[in-house]
Amino acid sequence: MIHRNLLSYRGARYLWWSLGLIVASCILYVTQGDAQPPNGGTWQGYVLGTVGALLIVWLTLLGIRKRRYSSTMGTVQGWTSAHVYLGSALIVVATLHSGLQIGWNLHTFAYVLMCVVILSGFFGLYTYMSYPQLISKNREGGARAELFAELFELDRNARAVASRCAPDVAIAVDSSIERTTLGGGIYSQLFSRDDSYFVRGAGKPVRNTDQQQVIDFVGARLPRAAKGAEAANLQQLIVLLCRRQAVLRRIRRDIRLYGWLKIWLYFHVPVTIALLVALVLHIIVTFFYW
Amino acid sequence: MDALLRELREGPDGIAEYYDTEISSKELTIGSSADRNIQLLGRGIAAEHAVIRQAGAQLELECRRGEYVRLNGKKKATARLSIGDVIELAGHRLRIAQPPPGFSVAIELQPNDQIDASTFESAFRTDLSQTWLGKRTMAWAGVAVVMLFGLILPLMVYKAHRADNPVPSWFPGDEFWNSGPLHQVHQQAIGDRCETCHEKLFQRVQDSACETCHRTTHDHIMPARLALTELGPTPRCATCHREHNEPQTFLVNRSDSSCIDCHGKPQHGFGEIKMDPVNGFALDRHPEFKAHLLASVAGQAAGRGFSYDWKTVVAELDKAVEQSNLKFSHRQHLDPNRVLRRGDSKPMNCADCHRLEPDGEHFEPITQEKQCAQCHELTFDPGAPDRQLPHGRPREVVLTLQDYFTRKFSDPNFGRVATRERRRLPGQDREEETCDGEPFDCAMRSAKKEIESQFTRRGCVGCHAVIDTKVANVFDRFQVVPIRFARDYFPANRFDHRSHQIQGKLTGDDACLSCHAAKKSTDSSDLMVPGIAKCTECHGDKAAAERVTVQCVSCHEYHPRQPSLLDAIGTQTRNRETETAPRAELAGL
Repeated sequence: MIHRNLLSYRGARYLWWSLGLIVASCILYVTQGDAQPPNGGTWQGYVLGTVGALLIVWLTLLGIRKRRYSSTMGTVQGWTSAHVYLGSALIVVATLHSGLQIGWNLHTFAYVLMCVVILSGFFGLYTYMSYPQLISKNREGGARAELFAELFELDRNARAVASRCAPDVAIAVDSSIERTTLGGGIYSQLFSRDDSYFVRGAGKPVRNTDQQQVIDFVGARLPRAAKGAEAANLQQLIVLLCRRQAVLRRIRRDIRLYGWLKIWLYFHVPVTIALLVALVLHIIVTFFYW
Repeated sequence: MDALLRELREGPDGIAEYYDTEISSKELTIGSSADRNIQLLGRGIAAEHAVIRQAGAQLELECRRGEYVRLNGKKKATARLSIGDVIELAGHRLRIAQPPPGFSVAIELQPNDQIDASTFESAFRTDLSQTWLGKRTMAWAGVAVVMLFGLILPLMVYKAHRADNPVPSWFPGDEFWNSGPLHQVHQQAIGDRCETCHEKLFQRVQDSACETCHRTTHDHIMPARLALTELGPTPRCATCHREHNEPQTFLVNRSDSSCIDCHGKPQHGFGEIKMDPVNGFALDRHPEFKAHLLASVAGQAAGRGFSYDWKTVVAELDKAVEQSNLKFSHRQHLDPNRVLRRGDSKPMNCADCHRLEPDGEHFEPITQEKQCAQCHELTFDPGAPDRQLPHGRPREVVLTLQDYFTRKFSDPNFGRVATRERRRLPGQDREEETCDGEPFDCAMRSAKKEIESQFTRRGCVGCHAVIDTKVANVFDRFQVVPIRFARDYFPANRFDHRSHQIQGKLTGDDACLSCHAAKKSTDSSDLMVPGIAKCTECHGDKAAAERVTVQCVSCHEYHPRQPSLLDAIGTQTRNRETETAPRAELAGL
């Protein structure tokens, strides 16, 4: 229940911090009087901008803090809780700093990068809250390696049994094992694309999505089995292939859930780095063309 | 190639067993994936790890990019293999053996028993880190994009612009640094040439950049007068004129605070310049208005009789007296029982005489010809109602009268063609038109009488102040005191009469009379200008119910239209004469 602790850490202390920050920012924003439209150039705008920039730097420091296992500067859990709440508040701070003035420029670019980081963070928070349960439910408490070990054994046994069957069955089973795909590229991992094939008879390889076609192929041979031993082998083979199908499904789901659990970090972290550079340029450029 | 793979396994009784497999393939593939000729599991073994192929007489080993094996204890990615060579891969040992007849290759495989099947995962790409996605790569890519568009290209274009090298407009440049739209007028004049105003990096926009175009704009205070104060230089243009803001029409910081910073405490820093403190627009925050009036001073001019000087006087409204020298009663003219308009016989309106100029602030100057003559004719002989005296030229008046009577007494046909006779006004003398003397003498006598009458009893004297010097020469005897009206009681300020022509339910004359008490004014010396109390009935400096907000700059101009004007105002203290208007020569006869 890591998420519970993350959000309710010390009675959601940082929720109140961030709400306080939001309220203070709003008060500061509305005090931008009739002198000029609200923007980053008023003293209130400068204050909001400075707070926002310091927040961004501090939020980035979580990446360093969580790797410093010996650090006693607060718990990582506390840091992460504050990271989530104050990071959410940053959207308000930065939006008010911008005075809702957007354009095709570096400043809005930095703002968009920040939004990408925060929104990816929201997605990450959501996956961290819901996916670990789904993952452990899918694995039924085991590890992924166990599923792969089971798959390997099933492969080996299926090949052994298939070698005792008719050559076309052996080829079908061998090819279905050799041409089973798992994971792969980003899309395949995230959407469990199954590019499995098997060789049926003398023809070209045919699709074997979810291993169903090879099971059907072997199953269709069963009524035509001439000998008792052959039928027993085929039956044993079908059992192995069906177990194999179940294991593959579970592994695919595991890869998918893991992918979604991690994908946000591939945006959250690199875009944060780009954001830091854009932030520095935003500040410098403000004074380039003062 | 035809290969023999001999796997050595330890049997249940500890005795080594051989399992031979014949492989017929173009090349021998090694890896953890199920479709490899030699499927090996273990840490560091990729799905497609290596291939062994025949290269002429020799065998050749080639690992996939990034992978390697240990060949005879040495890390290798590619190698030529000879009989007896041992390839190690995650503890598995593959020895190249002498191939038996019929085989081109023979390999003895001694698998690593320590490795269990759970490492089978390495045969597949099951983690996002194994795809092209990489936090580091993406971070570098992001940084590169940001640096390119945020710094490198803009700097290049900045330099090119400075060196006057042409840059195509589509090329991404320093407009990417633009923090907001320029004011539309600036956008049209400057476009994307940032360096027009931002002359140097890290330097604020200089006033000189503004003045390149705005040459005719005057500073708030002239240097000579600024020197009288202890104030530093006047603020930068950009203190009030903030660019790159939205909405695109915003350019002036209209807040009072910048003005009040100095004018709230004029006793500090204003030095020799005395001014009332201003802290906003309310009875307790703004001083009463002071009107700029003309004061006339008659004097003796050397050799020419009289001279007349006009001076500007600044006076508090309650003490202000207008000295136009005109005899005029607004009350009388606005009283329908006494005055009706010629033509439609309706009561007079303000606008009958006071016509707003296009600027919406000032009124057309009042002249006899435009405003008075319509009703007030300058006839002098009821017997000749079509003859009128010239206005504004007293000498011509005397000559006209003399000419008229000369003709009247010498022309035998005079009077026969007289058109219409006017009714005599009660109590007014009628010139006796019979004379026994020489016609010329009679004419001169009658002319003299009429001249005296015009200048002292009726005619000129009805509106003008006339000084009778009693000198013998009739041309020098009467001095008409000239009339002048102040053009603008508050020359340095703005007021929009047009927007005040409708005030709530008041329109037309009612709107005018709500501020200007013309119906009570019997004398032209009354200054019918309302004070600040009247303004604050509707206006305030802060947003409030039933109040229209005004800022300092709503009425006051920061940049004087004429630099001399503000200088003049600043130097004068209350009720002190300050300016001598161009000398007006008395209309000597």
